[in-house]
Amino acid sequence: MWAEAMAAPDLRAQLDSLLLQLLGDLEELEAKRAALNARVEEGWLSLSKARYNMGAKSVGPLQYASRMEPQVRVGTSEAQDALQKFWLVRAGTQTPEEVGPREAALRRRKGLTRTPEPDPSPAPQDPLNWFGILVPHSLRQAQASFREGLQLAADMASLQSRINEGRSQVRGLQEKLKQLEPRAA
Amino acid sequence: MLEGAELCFNVDHGYLEGLVRGCKAGLLTQQDYVNLVQCETLEDLKIHLQTTDYGNFLANQTSPLAVSTIDTEMRKKLCREFEYFRNHSLEPLSTFFTYMTCSYMIDNVILLMNGALQKKSVKEMLVKCHPLGRFTEMEAVNIAETPSDLFNAILVETPLAPFFQDCMSENTLDELNIEILRNKLYKSYIEAFYKFCKNHGDVTAEIMCPILEFEADRRAFIITLNSFGTELSKEDRETLYPTCGKLYPEGLRLLAQAEDFEQMKRVADHYGVYKPLFEAVGDGSGAKTLEDMFYEREVQMNVLAFNRQFHYGVFYAYTKLKEQEMRNVVWIAECISQRHRAKINSYIPIL
Repeated sequence: MWAEAMAAPDLRAQLDSLLLQLLGDLEELEAKRAALNARVEEGWLSLSKARYNMGAKSVGPLQYASRMEPQVRVGTSEAQDALQKFWLVRAGTQTPEEVGPREAALRRRKGLTRTPEPDPSPAPQDPLNWFGILVPHSLRQAQASFREGLQLAADMASLQSRINEGRSQVRGLQEKLKQLEPRAA
Repeated sequence: MLEGAELCFNVDHGYLEGLVRGCKAGLLTQQDYVNLVQCETLEDLKIHLQTTDYGNFLANQTSPLAVSTIDTEMRKKLCREFEYFRNHSLEPLSTFFTYMTCSYMIDNVILLMNGALQKKSVKEMLVKCHPLGRFTEMEAVNIAETPSDLFNAILVETPLAPFFQDCMSENTLDELNIEILRNKLYKSYIEAFYKFCKNHGDVTAEIMCPILEFEADRRAFIITLNSFGTELSKEDRETLYPTCGKLYPEGLRLLAQAEDFEQMKRVADHYGVYKPLFEAVGDGSGAKTLEDMFYEREVQMNVLAFNRQFHYGVFYAYTKLKEQEMRNVVWIAECISQRHRAKINSYIPIL
């Protein structure tokens, strides 16, 4: 009984710190989401600008193959506390233990995605070259925006799983506290 | 022969000149653009376009409307007008029209070759080719492996044949070589077109030669700008510059050595026409790019072409102005469909 009476304030302190971390994570997630939206919008607008300069048919589905190999993959790992982390693995820079489930990094959006030729070739081809060698600046800007967005997406996925974990921990602690309270009283 | 433009032009070409001036009057006005910019959806845009010369051109399209459909339909309309002019033309205006279509043919050939690299089906690519650049041997373009193949087997009977002189090589066609091929073909084409106009003399030469000089110089600048940071070497780059512009020969030689935008700007500063264009280029998000400045200047020159009569330049100018109009409408449509209205006013007004 004594031990249980002592446990409640500890639990509450733990709960408080968990909640604070959860709120911090949520704020970071919101910020990253806003940044991702901005990058994606910029990327699409830069693509439109490139179409304006190069001709409407020069930047579109005609320029890429219907089957492609991703240039960037998502590696995942699960730690002991069931926390899932996601990170980007660029083709050609893989270490054996990092290769996680193979997932195309971006689901097939129409527009700029990454892909190289199949594995035997040493250097993955820059998708910018699908549109020719002399591409306007706006197309390079589009590629840069989408690349940043990709990084943000991986970070967001990790954050999301951390938030879910945090929420379940908070719920667990709240349950324990409820059990302790009636007995203490 | 005495300068007979005023006397003889109308015999052969008067009807078509009158027609093209009538078509020009149907270009979108500033008020039309203001209405288009205020549209909230692509359906609104379609409704507004119905009140202009475009009429019900989108009537048979299923909703939801896509921006590429708008572009294709507008291009079909331009093509119909162009074909009408071409079918009713007599020499030497017909040759002039053939020269105009060569640039679209070059684009189609390159599109088909790129499609072959990406292993796309020929039928899929043929549908997307520019209608003004169609020629019968198009379907066979994708089987060519080298430029000499391409020439000997396929293009030797087409109007593009004379432009292949510099491009015959045995290199296989990968991305770098296709790009080089495209630019070399275009260089030969524009130099040949320039010579044709110059030899024709008369008002046509007075109007068309400055326009083509500007086009050649603009190509040189844009090739230089886009080649920074790519695998194209300076010597290769110099072979792609058309020589019929004001920059030839000193400017082109200086331009070939340029390594960044600042150096390019210094070359342009030597030329009174290009200095103001480069100075107006800004860096921030609201600023104009170099390509925008070139488009504006092109529009200015094309509008001025209509101030004189009895020359073929009106046909060229009309086609180019119509293309700018299509670019404007597609830009506005993209901004509307992406709900990103910050830059919607970046179109170039024509009238």
